[in-house]
Amino acid sequence: MNATRRQVLMFAGGSAVGVMFTPAPWRLITDTALWSENWPGIPAPPRGEIHTRFTNCSICTAGCAVRARCVGDQPVELAGVAGHPISRGALCPFGIVGHHLPYIPARLKEGPVGQAAAAIAGGLAKCGPAEFVVTLDLQPGRTASWTYRRAMGALKNGRYIAPSVDAQVAVDLSKARTVLSFGVPVLDGWGTPGIVNAARAGFRLIQIDAVESRTASMADRWFRVRPNSEEVLAAALAGRISPAQAADATGLAVAEIAALAQELEQGGPVLVLGSSQLESTVGTVVARHETPVPGEWKKSAPVTDLASLPDRSVRVLLIDESMPGGYLQWSAIARKLVADNPVVVTFAASPEGYARHANYALPVAVYPEVSGDVPPAIDSVASTFRIASPLVSPPSGMVNPESFIATAAGLSTGDTLRERADAIHKSARGAVFTYADGQSQPLKDMKPDDFWKVLNAGGCWIDEPGAQTAAKLTFGTAARPPEEESDLPLAIVVARETASGIPLLSKVYRESNLRLAPGYVALNPACGLEDGSQAIFETLLGKATVGVTLDSGIPPGVAQVSATPALLDLCAAGARAKVVRS
Amino acid sequence: MTSANKPIRAARYGMTIDLDRCNGCGACMLACAVENNVPPAHEAATDRKGLTWLRVYKVDNGEAYPGRRTAFVPVMCQHCGNETPCVHVCPQQAVDIDPATGVVGEMPQRCLGCRYCMAACPYHARYFNWWDPAWPLGMEKMLNPGVTPRMRGVVEKCNFCHGRWHAAKEAAAAAGKPDTPVEYTPACVEACPTGAIHFGDLNDPGSTVAKEAAEPGSFRLLEKLNTQPKVYYRSQKEWVRQVASAPRPSAAKEKDRG
Amino acid sequence: MMSGRSIPFLAGVTAALAAGWLAFPRAIYRSQPEPVNFSHKIHADKAGAKCEDCHTFRDDGSFAGLPALDKCTGCHSAPMGTTSAEKSFIDNYVTPNRQPQWVSYARQPENVSFSHAAHVKRAKMACETCHGNTGSSDTLRPFQIDRISGYSRDIWKTPGTSHGMKMADCVECHRRQGLEHSCLDCHK
Repeated sequence: MNATRRQVLMFAGGSAVGVMFTPAPWRLITDTALWSENWPGIPAPPRGEIHTRFTNCSICTAGCAVRARCVGDQPVELAGVAGHPISRGALCPFGIVGHHLPYIPARLKEGPVGQAAAAIAGGLAKCGPAEFVVTLDLQPGRTASWTYRRAMGALKNGRYIAPSVDAQVAVDLSKARTVLSFGVPVLDGWGTPGIVNAARAGFRLIQIDAVESRTASMADRWFRVRPNSEEVLAAALAGRISPAQAADATGLAVAEIAALAQELEQGGPVLVLGSSQLESTVGTVVARHETPVPGEWKKSAPVTDLASLPDRSVRVLLIDESMPGGYLQWSAIARKLVADNPVVVTFAASPEGYARHANYALPVAVYPEVSGDVPPAIDSVASTFRIASPLVSPPSGMVNPESFIATAAGLSTGDTLRERADAIHKSARGAVFTYADGQSQPLKDMKPDDFWKVLNAGGCWIDEPGAQTAAKLTFGTAARPPEEESDLPLAIVVARETASGIPLLSKVYRESNLRLAPGYVALNPACGLEDGSQAIFETLLGKATVGVTLDSGIPPGVAQVSATPALLDLCAAGARAKVVRS
Repeated sequence: MTSANKPIRAARYGMTIDLDRCNGCGACMLACAVENNVPPAHEAATDRKGLTWLRVYKVDNGEAYPGRRTAFVPVMCQHCGNETPCVHVCPQQAVDIDPATGVVGEMPQRCLGCRYCMAACPYHARYFNWWDPAWPLGMEKMLNPGVTPRMRGVVEKCNFCHGRWHAAKEAAAAAGKPDTPVEYTPACVEACPTGAIHFGDLNDPGSTVAKEAAEPGSFRLLEKLNTQPKVYYRSQKEWVRQVASAPRPSAAKEKDRG
Repeated sequence: MMSGRSIPFLAGVTAALAAGWLAFPRAIYRSQPEPVNFSHKIHADKAGAKCEDCHTFRDDGSFAGLPALDKCTGCHSAPMGTTSAEKSFIDNYVTPNRQPQWVSYARQPENVSFSHAAHVKRAKMACETCHGNTGSSDTLRPFQIDRISGYSRDIWKTPGTSHGMKMADCVECHRRQGLEHSCLDCHK
């Protein structure tokens, strides 16, 4: 039958009325609202059983003990281990987000492993009589470092170099009544947070700093000196030059310097950090016993530094920058390489370091994927042995630098960590602290297998404390002549921020102005640039793009650079810079 | 919410923060973001558009060297106890103050994103999701199952780590303990390497926070507004207390800020 | 009274009512079978299992929910009966060591924080109060999923109970118990 339009409309009207009496429209509204709650792209957190696992953080030598809250096997949250005799339950901001390290977008994921191995073999064969094969270890003192020394020792022309550090000397903050720091970031990334914070109330901190660093702002007394004049002040305090001469160079008043000298005399024991011109009071510096190693390892290349190598003598250079450690300026390294086709291989997780210069960049596993030990920190009066046991598996294709270099040098190695642990166990010294139950027991009461198990499940071995030693610390800024005269307007102060690259650090870098992000330069507001803008940072060695932060704690005429390796390559000692709008 | 509730022993969870210990490291800010599934910054985010449930500010006494003094002040939702401003203004009733715990709880699922509460909050402690959260590939495996992620267009803020409160309540129920206020530790309190932040029940006279809050040296931010916040700050330095009452900046400081 | 004009109208009403009450419920849900045709009744009778034997609480008080494969292989590493359901379970899941992808009738949205410990241990509620007579069923009812919202039909009305598991149903019971304090009691 032909339905008229009226009939159709009546039908539709009836349907509309009828449907109101059914659940359909009300359900559709509810369902649409529920559908909109499950917006695509918002991830759902994983579900699973919550476990607690323990490890030690290997982002720096503090090696703080870590309690990881894991869903299934995946760590989701890290915290310290309360009651730990060294780290006292503290973690620094970088350790708190350490479990994000494997997921940094810029992480190196693949590399020319076969080609690198072939190039190294070729380089070894081509080595002339005065040429060397060198391993540069940026985090010395580890068990892997011993493997490198043994590997280089197995080669007739192998050399092992590391940034100069005296592994056996440590400071005892608990014995100091005054700490005189020449630019050392005592309260911000220098030592072990747990040790520094526990000792803080016991000493008066005098910070000599060109800018109001975090340590300077928290110090009991901050003396603002001109950049790179710290050693001049030290010389005055050591009596080598007159206060008047120092006042000229540092910008301090003569009376201030005299008052400081008097305070040091009366405020003992004094611990001096960052200058080797002044002696610390006896008792504040200790010599640690060396963490035991298997006897046969002692047959290895000695630790030398870059300066000991002649120019144009290195044919093969292997750089282990797998753990965040120091960075040596590339120009200092480049001049040691032979002129014709040196082979430079770097083992790195980040493309920002030596991967920019090396012939081959091989990807490595990072904390918390990798098993390795952490050397003791500068403020640990006893030697320690702690293993950063892996919490997650590394992606496929990662290279283990220790075994790679050992193989390249023809050295056969076993489970070096286990061998080291066994050597420590044989010494029968010290105590073992177990994280799971918070108990300590003497090492001699433990069987080797139990010791190994505890080390891997969350524990640390603490040696007997070291003995007092000659009180000069040889690390720190040695007086270096400033670079050639330049008319660039800004003096550079380098701030070392733990290189991390973790996106969540935007909380403290970009979503607040709490910390200075790597690749940023802090300038006085009078500089005329906008906060957060991009600028060109120029030194005599080159240019780079940086971000600008305005900070009234930076005096005019000074640029505080939060250095990435790329920026460190541009900043020679005593360098000056220019920062202009880009 | 209703007066027909059973009588309970109500808690008033609060914090004391020792500003003489805080060294501005930012570990608390990061631990908060990890615990509460706060995503990393969007490319276009600045410190005005970021998501920092807990933010540490650097304050100074306005003088130049050598008289210059600096301190760091961690600020999170102060959980105002008196006429809580954000609770009053929300058109959706997406915020409420819990009579059993004193915690001002935000319901992002109910929020419609008008941001009236952000204007009402005198402490700037509320943050808006300008963008959908984006975690780098693989990192969604590390989200905390105890806290739900939020979508764009809603406001979020500190709730004294309510996910940890839930876990503590569940453990107490499973262990057969009575349903009195549970003890738990928020992420920032646990993470602070200097131990500057303490947390507990202000209604419990024996708790650390109750004792520290009652000390004459303790003060709260913007006391003159009478919001009765539950976060107490402590400092021996008089100038820090002055900063907390937010006097108008001097003309010289305004110029310095550019 | 019943004129020619009102017939299309009434036809429309009738059609809408029929569509809304009969066709719509069928159309809005998509049915999904559970991976294994598990019989609670057999396990309750023959194995003497109670709810909490398989749906366990962990040491920290959290609820383990649906049991993992290892709970089943404790007994079923070899066939214990003669049903084809058990055989297909052993072939498809036990032998290749694959977890069955159960779909949970009671799955709540991500923003809900529900504590089984508080309801079972503290309030001493019976499992049937919320989950109905699943425990005495011989087969698993098919999982009916709402095509638009993605939630289970049981959220609206769990068979064998007088209510469903929507927020209003939870609030109603909490209100009766005098335990209605704050949104974040149940949300996370």
